[in-house]
Amino acid sequence: MSLKMDRASMAFTFKGGMLPMTVMELASADPEQIREQLSGKLSQAPAFFQHTPVVLSVEKLDEPHLALERICAVCRTHKLLPVAVRGGADPVKQSAWALGLGWFPPSDGTRARSLEEVPPMVAPESGVGEPEVAAAVTTGGRIYRGTVRSGQQVSAPEGDLVVIGAVNAGAEVLAAGSIHVYGPLRGRALAGIHGDNAAGIFCRELRAELLSVAGNYKRLEDIDPHLLGGSVQVSLRDDQLGITSLD
Amino acid sequence: MAKIIVVTSGKGGVGKTTSAAAIATGLALRGNKTVVIDFDVGLRNLDLIMGCERRVVYDLVNVIQGEAGLNQALIRDKRVDNLHILPASQTRDKDALTAEGVEKVLETLGKDFDYILCDSPAGIERGAQLAMYFADEAIVVTNPEVSSVRDSDRILGLLASKTRRAERGEDPVKEHLLITRYNAARVDHGDMLNLEDIREILAIDLIGLIPESEAVLRASNQGVPVTHDDNTDAGQAYMDTVSRLLGEEVPLRFHELQKKSLLSRMFGGGRR
Repeated sequence: MSLKMDRASMAFTFKGGMLPMTVMELASADPEQIREQLSGKLSQAPAFFQHTPVVLSVEKLDEPHLALERICAVCRTHKLLPVAVRGGADPVKQSAWALGLGWFPPSDGTRARSLEEVPPMVAPESGVGEPEVAAAVTTGGRIYRGTVRSGQQVSAPEGDLVVIGAVNAGAEVLAAGSIHVYGPLRGRALAGIHGDNAAGIFCRELRAELLSVAGNYKRLEDIDPHLLGGSVQVSLRDDQLGITSLD
Repeated sequence: MAKIIVVTSGKGGVGKTTSAAAIATGLALRGNKTVVIDFDVGLRNLDLIMGCERRVVYDLVNVIQGEAGLNQALIRDKRVDNLHILPASQTRDKDALTAEGVEKVLETLGKDFDYILCDSPAGIERGAQLAMYFADEAIVVTNPEVSSVRDSDRILGLLASKTRRAERGEDPVKEHLLITRYNAARVDHGDMLNLEDIREILAIDLIGLIPESEAVLRASNQGVPVTHDDNTDAGQAYMDTVSRLLGEEVPLRFHELQKKSLLSRMFGGGRR
């Protein structure tokens, strides 16, 4: 709890995050060609174009100079919001910065998930500590396989915790994010330990000694007996811990 | 190299020493050279259960501290040739045990024996941790009651983290569940946890189920491990356990209510 109090007195905190992000892999640098294709897509899937943030990947283009400003304008008219550029030579990086966009080093190939085709392998630029927002792989979460036994503590200090097994009475599972238990939850489960109100607890069989989301807790005694033994989700609603059945 | 098996439970009074004595006797009866070590320094009981309390001269602590040789401390069982007992000290406390000392004793014994059984003290402190530290396999003794199951769960957690195998990243200690003092009638009434509940919570293989039996109490007081009395249900159940430990497939017995128990008592001559 003390961690939460400290944070309340600060104007902001930096947090590492892995957000899902659409990467727009450019195969052509011609703004007109891009516009044509975007218009077609817009009529097919209008729901997708809701000021969706995109990262423009120019890794496949072999052009040192891009009409980046025009490409961005085309995107904006189609309700896509370019937030960064990935790859490209130094002039591309400079013009991205000049346009107020971020710049990412080229993907290292192994982490990029292409929907259509595999991008060519590009060696990652070393010494760049920027987290790769566009990558689909998240870090910080943890999957624990097996029974969490009495007296044991399993935690995921930076993400979600998934337990494939039971959490027995007297055991404790903690996560900065949500907790998922594919088995009976008989011990204590504390989600959102750094204050994440959006975190939740999900389990197959509720028998928990204690449930807590971002410091708001319920003891076994406080839990509606009808929910015991069932598959439930636990989340915060107006600072109240709500437990609802998933059956 | 001998197989080192720890008999442990967390909770006291569930039948660790009785089980260690019975299983060691069974292993020896089946032709395995076996030694059973009492790790309960300060609360020595194994010698009583094995009926050798009058022959104790030196003990485990004497050996570890170099005051006696291992052969001086080992007591040969009167009934089974290839069974030995290494008693605990009654006058010292558990701090007298050192990891290096225990390791050396186990290493030396390992050259001569097929099986080394470590009878763990209750609790999760030094004595219990040293008893389990070098184990290859563990027999977790559990009674059909909530507190015993929870303590066994705790011990299973320690077996997975506080043993040499765990620390070295080797294959984990093989865990076996032994349920003792199982009373099918009381389980039927809902007074006790049933077999399936216990197995579900602890999630390890069942190696044996020992019914609550007068034979066990009698055996303890007479200093004759119950395995010797193969007319009794508990004796048979321990022998089944030993067979499973040796890798045989034996169907589970004594877990269901015997409807004809009155008849079998009248004509079967089960008790003497």
